[in-house]
Amino acid sequence: MAAPRSAGQRLDHHTLEKYENIWFGIATVMILLLFVTVLASFFSGTYPSLNGEGGHHITGVKNGRLNPKNFAATPFATPGLRQNADGSYEAFVIARAFQFEPAVLKVPVGQPVTIHVTSADVLHGYFIEGTNINATAIPGQVSSFTTTFRRPGTLNLICNEYCGTGHHNMINSVKVEVQEP
Amino acid sequence: MTTSPVFSPNAARETPVISDAAYLGSLKKVTQYYIVTALLALLVGTLMGPLQALNYGGINVYDTPILKALLKSYYQGLSLHGVLNALVFTQFFISGWMLYLPARDLGMRINMKFAWFTYILMTAGLLVAAVPLLTNNATLLYTFYPPMEGSPVFYIGAAVMVGSSLLVVGQVVNMWLRWKRANPGRVTPLVAFMCVATWMMWFVAALGIVTEVVFLLIPWSLGWVAGVDPLISKTLFWWTGHAIVYFWVLPAYISWYAFLPKHAGGRIVSEPLARLTFVLFLLNSTPVGLHHQYADPNISNAWKTVHMFLTFLVVIPSLLTAFSVAASLEDAARARGGKGLFGWMTRLPWGKPMFAAPVLALISFILGGAGGVVNASSTFAPVVHNTAWIPGHFHITVGTATTLTFMGISFWLIPHLTGKRLPSVRLASAAVWTWFVGMMVFALGMHWQGLVGVPRRALVSGAAQNVYKEMPIQIPQMLTAISGMILLVSMLLYFYVLFRMLLSRRVDDGEVSSPIPYSEVISPASPNLAGASALVRYTEPLMALWGVALLLVLLMYGPVLARLFANAELVPGWRLY
Ligand code: HEM
Ligand SMILES: [Cu+2]
Ligand SMILES: [Cu+2]
Repeated sequence: MAAPRSAGQRLDHHTLEKYENIWFGIATVMILLLFVTVLASFFSGTYPSLNGEGGHHITGVKNGRLNPKNFAATPFATPGLRQNADGSYEAFVIARAFQFEPAVLKVPVGQPVTIHVTSADVLHGYFIEGTNINATAIPGQVSSFTTTFRRPGTLNLICNEYCGTGHHNMINSVKVEVQEP
Repeated sequence: MTTSPVFSPNAARETPVISDAAYLGSLKKVTQYYIVTALLALLVGTLMGPLQALNYGGINVYDTPILKALLKSYYQGLSLHGVLNALVFTQFFISGWMLYLPARDLGMRINMKFAWFTYILMTAGLLVAAVPLLTNNATLLYTFYPPMEGSPVFYIGAAVMVGSSLLVVGQVVNMWLRWKRANPGRVTPLVAFMCVATWMMWFVAALGIVTEVVFLLIPWSLGWVAGVDPLISKTLFWWTGHAIVYFWVLPAYISWYAFLPKHAGGRIVSEPLARLTFVLFLLNSTPVGLHHQYADPNISNAWKTVHMFLTFLVVIPSLLTAFSVAASLEDAARARGGKGLFGWMTRLPWGKPMFAAPVLALISFILGGAGGVVNASSTFAPVVHNTAWIPGHFHITVGTATTLTFMGISFWLIPHLTGKRLPSVRLASAAVWTWFVGMMVFALGMHWQGLVGVPRRALVSGAAQNVYKEMPIQIPQMLTAISGMILLVSMLLYFYVLFRMLLSRRVDDGEVSSPIPYSEVISPASPNLAGASALVRYTEPLMALWGVALLLVLLMYGPVLARLFANAELVPGWRLY
């Protein structure tokens, strides 16, 4: 309805509308592509996603919840790595101001390991430097994920969620070892 | 065709005249109080910034005697920085800005007693919350995740402060409804429309944090209940916490859409498109908060993925804005004789701070937005989550897109409100450009450190282990430290100009010498609904769209929260600071 201004090179309504629609189309297609690629990467397992609700099968843990004052009834009573009867590996880790237990977690190289993390007090972060392992340790809740460490060596395990005056010193390690046969 | 004889389609809007001088004076004064309180919060808040930048430059200044006397810890300083900048500065500025604009745009009278009451209540909340912050009794950072426990005084003050913003929502929506009743069949003017839509969005968004603080944290901190479920609290926090970023940038968008073209000498591209953008934000900015919780257990991946998809959709109105604003700038530049595919850019008034601030803010936001898409992707998020990348990201969004735009607004809004003059265009311009350059360098340094694995919110320069000394981060550390110094200069320049302006004498009638910079429009919306395009007619019923927004957020959060409440695990509080 508004008559376009014909002043020299200036933009007018009709040209703008055309560009606008093209731009809108490009934006929409880009977003859809992005979503599809993220989903593809999700399903192909390029990152260790957290097990969803009900994904934990741990004694003493119900719906992923446990009482942080009562680790005794759960495998968190003895933090560290264990091998199950079927040969699979599981690790139990407690975050507590201002360190992780165990302070050095030893894991086998090239084998899938399921790591369960919880907190004994406030929120902490479970971030293994140089990897995409990044989970929140929440008191009363268990974060579980499965991952495979590909190279032997020692990785820094850094608390990346503010947990008090000692937060910056809450650094331990994960030691990836070649398995003794 | 339009039925209104006075409607000339491309002309700039003029504010309806207000002949009651006492009322206009009071309206301007309350706005000025909001804006100045906001800027004082920004002053105190940013004072900590350069120290934090030095920390991320590997230099620990927190053991010096002066700082030791002032701050109990790095984390107390960081709490002040986060709360004052991200919550207080923004909320006060926006409350003043987005109360004044619709009142002027619609020419409506508002109840000034209530307006002053709201301002005073909000300030009282702020002062109450400030006491525990300053005495190290609420060193919880601005996210205050339980079970880290703060003094109940902090939660109560914060609840009063945030709650009073809902009274501003009431004022603006009420004013708009009265205008609708008095003007049946008319299309809401663009600026008022954008303000009303933004306030409605904020109302839907604020429900999460208000529920968290009022029903969970206050009773818990007072000892009325034994424990708190940290995951429920965190989920309610991010219900508000993501949408809040749109509450920060939409008021900047208003100035980009409506006023920047005027500063540049160009025209608004399309009113209907601007309306669509704001409606998309109203509907779509709230039900996305789970994308902050990819690393949290016991929330199903399906819901996280739904929120991720919705997050990606919010990119579309942002891209529409980038298109519109760029087109108005090009229009301006060509009118001034600009030529060529990119050559027109040189014809823009880069030396004018009212112009440079919002444009540089917009450029910063394009980069920030691109990083935001990375953060939102559940597959990338674990690489950057809670690393220094994150502060790198939000200092070029809220820390620049919003803050720099607000600085630019203050250069004409304060003269407009007070009749005082900007004392120095050159110093104001220098403040704007150093802020932009400083934040770009800062963002580079912090994003880079984050990719190497340096965590955020940590006194990394004071760590007992050698981990950070062994990382290959010498160059980004240097960039961060230098940026802190550039930003220090910038804020000193800005606050010098600001205070000189505020403390100078009134020289003229701001209404005349510094009018609200309404712009001409290339494709206006017709003033009457009957003659308006479909886009204008479908976006006009904001009350109904508000209902849809509320419904959407309940659909996207209801099942998640219901499951969390059904399995709640209350844990005791801790004070580890
Ligand atoms: C002089 C300018 C500024 C500098 C040098 C600066 C520097 C920093 C640094 C280095 C951090 C990271 C601290 C950490 O993670 O330990 C930080 C955090 C933060 N900054 Fe700024 N900043 C400035 C201005 C601003 C502005 C204008 C805003 C917002 C309007 C802002 C909002 C925040 C927020 C919300 C945090 C996060 C606090 C938290 O994680 O709890 N900053 N700032
Ligand atoms: Cu920790
Ligand atoms: Cu920590």
